[in-house]
Amino acid sequence: MKKSYYLGVDVGSVSTNIVLVDDNRELVYRDYLRTMGQPIRVIQEGIRALRSRMGDIDIKGAGATGSGRNLAGIIIGADIVKNEITAHAVAALHINPEVKTILEIGGQDSKIIILRDGIVSDFAMNTVCAAGTGSFLDRQASRLGIPIEEFGALALKSTAEVRIAGRCAVFAESDMIHKQQLGHKTEDIILGLCSALVRNYLNNLGKGKEILEPVIFQGGVAANCGIVKAFEKELGLEVNVPPHHDVMGAIGAALLSADAAERKGYTSFTGLDIVECEFSVRPLDCKGCANLCEVIEIMKNGEAVACWGDRCGRWSNRMTKLA
Amino acid sequence: MKPRVGIPRALLYYNYYPMWKEFFERLGAEIVLSELTNKKILDDGVNCSVDDACLPIKLFHGHVIDLKDRVDFLFIPRLISVQRSEYICPKFCGLPDMVVSLVNDLPTVIDVTVNMRNNNSSLRKAVLDAGRYITGDVVRIYSAYKSSLQKLHEFQRKMEEGLTPLEAMHGGKPSSFKEGIKIGLIGHPYNIYDNYASMDIIRKIRGRGIGIITQDMIRESEIDRIAKTFPKAMFWSFGKKIMAASEYLIDEKKVEGIIYMVAFGCGLDALVGDLVERRVRKKGVPFCLITIDEHTGEAGIDTRVEAFLDMLEWRNASKCW
Repeated sequence: MKKSYYLGVDVGSVSTNIVLVDDNRELVYRDYLRTMGQPIRVIQEGIRALRSRMGDIDIKGAGATGSGRNLAGIIIGADIVKNEITAHAVAALHINPEVKTILEIGGQDSKIIILRDGIVSDFAMNTVCAAGTGSFLDRQASRLGIPIEEFGALALKSTAEVRIAGRCAVFAESDMIHKQQLGHKTEDIILGLCSALVRNYLNNLGKGKEILEPVIFQGGVAANCGIVKAFEKELGLEVNVPPHHDVMGAIGAALLSADAAERKGYTSFTGLDIVECEFSVRPLDCKGCANLCEVIEIMKNGEAVACWGDRCGRWSNRMTKLA
Repeated sequence: MKPRVGIPRALLYYNYYPMWKEFFERLGAEIVLSELTNKKILDDGVNCSVDDACLPIKLFHGHVIDLKDRVDFLFIPRLISVQRSEYICPKFCGLPDMVVSLVNDLPTVIDVTVNMRNNNSSLRKAVLDAGRYITGDVVRIYSAYKSSLQKLHEFQRKMEEGLTPLEAMHGGKPSSFKEGIKIGLIGHPYNIYDNYASMDIIRKIRGRGIGIITQDMIRESEIDRIAKTFPKAMFWSFGKKIMAASEYLIDEKKVEGIIYMVAFGCGLDALVGDLVERRVRKKGVPFCLITIDEHTGEAGIDTRVEAFLDMLEWRNASKCW
């Protein structure tokens, strides 16, 4: 019998992740790509890579998540489009049904998810401020001329941590420059930064929440062992980083799509040949009222397939009727 | 020609409009409303107000700009207190002054003062003062006031049946969410009912088949009963209502969770928000704080609301989607 698979796509601000799980809900394929501000192209490239690696496989369901989930959902024909929080929770529960706390730090947002008895009981997301997220770490790493992959390991070499203000990325940066000009060692400053980010995270998101074991740390930043160590020190708990921590959102989307497609009895997945399709967007600056909505239309091979951005539904409802 | 009285569709419009309308129409005036909040109103308001004002105050200025050239009078009452021993936000006390000093070329502003902190006599004077802008006939003013009070009560009854203010004003029918999940949506009325500022949160929640109960859909007597049990009297009328409402909804098991919508920069919400959150969490009920501001990106609000509703459905059915 030909094996069947479920596709999960997580389009985030920094990375776009594509995974496949099989009938047994096991991960069989994963890809971590940089979004580079071009979600449509990256999704297509990702699917092309998937096709060349896996061949023409039978995909029975597709799910999308991440901040670009609606766009991704249209392109792949997702059976389910879910927010990141639910997707991350589903994926973590799949790995460890006992999980009670999920720490997640991505490119531009961070979340904490509290679970009890296998269901989400509380969550928090950072507000507009992106201090302490991956893109900030990225920036500091490149400023110090250290590849981001080595950032965490370098922090672990430190013997004397210096205190960095973590409340705000701008203040953190000036604090770091100050410490560096005083002559402190780079690894001590980096460890200080890791601790500052963890402190900031726990003060903002962890405020008033009961953080219990097992704790799972996922998202791109979980690759940074300096941050992991800082979390363990601050919480006094063991923090587990799952092997596929950086694509957990996509795994969650794939798992959700399996249920959704099963319930529906079919999949809306458009097929792997979407890599041949030509997607484009057409901005329609609506002048219908004083809202001047920035409406955009998503075109597939020159045909409008989706439209959003309008407040009144004048454009998007028209699309629903067509569908 | 009838004198035209302009009422900005902002701030206390959502609490008192049917009353104000009845009052001025009875006196022979014509009511002119500003457009519902839109991008232009937001931009105008943000550009003209002081930068540390909160979003709702900025929106109010935008509504004034939208209206001012179409009317003979602008109704901007100075509301200091609407209930004995209580206050409303201090920005309301200075509202007419703020508008007059920031917006040019205004028509006559009806800026009567209502301060019921000590007694009700200031209300009587305010009614008389407001009416005199339109007519000298005191008897007519009082009778207009009497029938306007009746309209206000009818309006409040309709909201207690589960209608939002806009639905109550436009003769909507009570929603049919008899079963299924309900959530409490609380916050200042001008935040939660202004569809533009709130990013249409009510429609988004109801669109998922989930019902909402707001603080205005709860009987005043229940609010007062619960407010009396607070360890210390809450002297902000809105804060009192918001706190008592969240307590009532949980204790009476009316809702599965609470969403509290606050405006960035609101001093009252900063305090009351935390008080409510602590009390709600202590009782083990899911709570979500949504902050609104000038930004137009809906994604942040959508993700939080969606995840919160997912969580409630998950808890309720112990299943995934």
